[in-house]
Amino acid sequence: MTFVVIFGMGLVVFLNRYAFIEPRLPLRLSSNARQFLGFAVPGMLTAICGPIVFLPNHQLDLSPSSPYLVGSLVAIVLVLLTRSTLFSMLASMAFFFVYRWWLNGA
Amino acid sequence: MSTHPALARHAFTRGAIAILPLSLAVAPWGLLAGSMAIEANLTPLEGQGLSAIVFAGAAQLVAIGMLKGGANLFSILLTTLLLTSQHLLYGLSMRPVLSDLPVRWRMGLAFLLTDEFFALVSQYDKQQFNRWYALGVGLTFYIAWNLFTLAGIVLGRNIPHLDQLGLDFSIVATFVALIAPVVRNVPTVVCVAVSLFCSVLFSYWHWETALVAAGLLGMTAGFICQKFSGARA
Repeated sequence: MTFVVIFGMGLVVFLNRYAFIEPRLPLRLSSNARQFLGFAVPGMLTAICGPIVFLPNHQLDLSPSSPYLVGSLVAIVLVLLTRSTLFSMLASMAFFFVYRWWLNGA
Repeated sequence: MSTHPALARHAFTRGAIAILPLSLAVAPWGLLAGSMAIEANLTPLEGQGLSAIVFAGAAQLVAIGMLKGGANLFSILLTTLLLTSQHLLYGLSMRPVLSDLPVRWRMGLAFLLTDEFFALVSQYDKQQFNRWYALGVGLTFYIAWNLFTLAGIVLGRNIPHLDQLGLDFSIVATFVALIAPVVRNVPTVVCVAVSLFCSVLFSYWHWETALVAAGLLGMTAGFICQKFSGARA
């Protein structure tokens, strides 16, 4: 029974992924549509990050000492300064865990 | 168009290396997907099946919770549809490069189309797009996701409070590093600000479509802003 659910979910997710890639779908993207879709990377990736940063444990945390908030700011500064995705990702994660450990210890 | 095998291998490796940081960043989610499945009394095969067949983190975690709570098939599928609706947008956005590929490639890469795949591959236009690079990105991520799920299944209940460890910051660290360099003009700033605000608000309200709704609003705001600044210039 569980496998019926799993295959059903697999099908639903695949259809979501494939629907607009199918060439027989009569659809041509206008220049406006393309400009709009140009915002997909910043728009969608930001939306994924928002709740993780501001709603840890599903409670609004806007305090300036929140490790998620400070960690994100560190990541932004690092990537703008160094231009290295990998370095700023690893360094901001290291910062996040040290800062959290320090907060919990103090 | 056939690619020279050496060039194909090179592009595949480049893709695999590019996705490596993100593959490691999802370790906590993969572990969680595996261990939660076991905790919800799914068999190891079912737990692994979710990652192998569905391959969508958020939908998997929610579905496991719903299975545990005894939800019916229809409500699980509807929730899955809503939770993964951002993939429609990714497909649409990548239609110019993916829809001309042979059917095997089209379906294969569509199956591998995740948030992370989109974050890396969508920046290439038709001339720069390399299917082997895309396959390297997608397949590496798929294998990593399934290995971490397996680890989660094996460790099962032995992982103490995995969701309390703050491991979800790894996703933020990676995505922030991908977004920040792209934010170079006013419309993109507006897009990011609106998307950020709405995603927090809608999630707070427990909308199932919170992320895609927030993303679409942010994109719309950015687009309108671009139109206005274009008209003035």
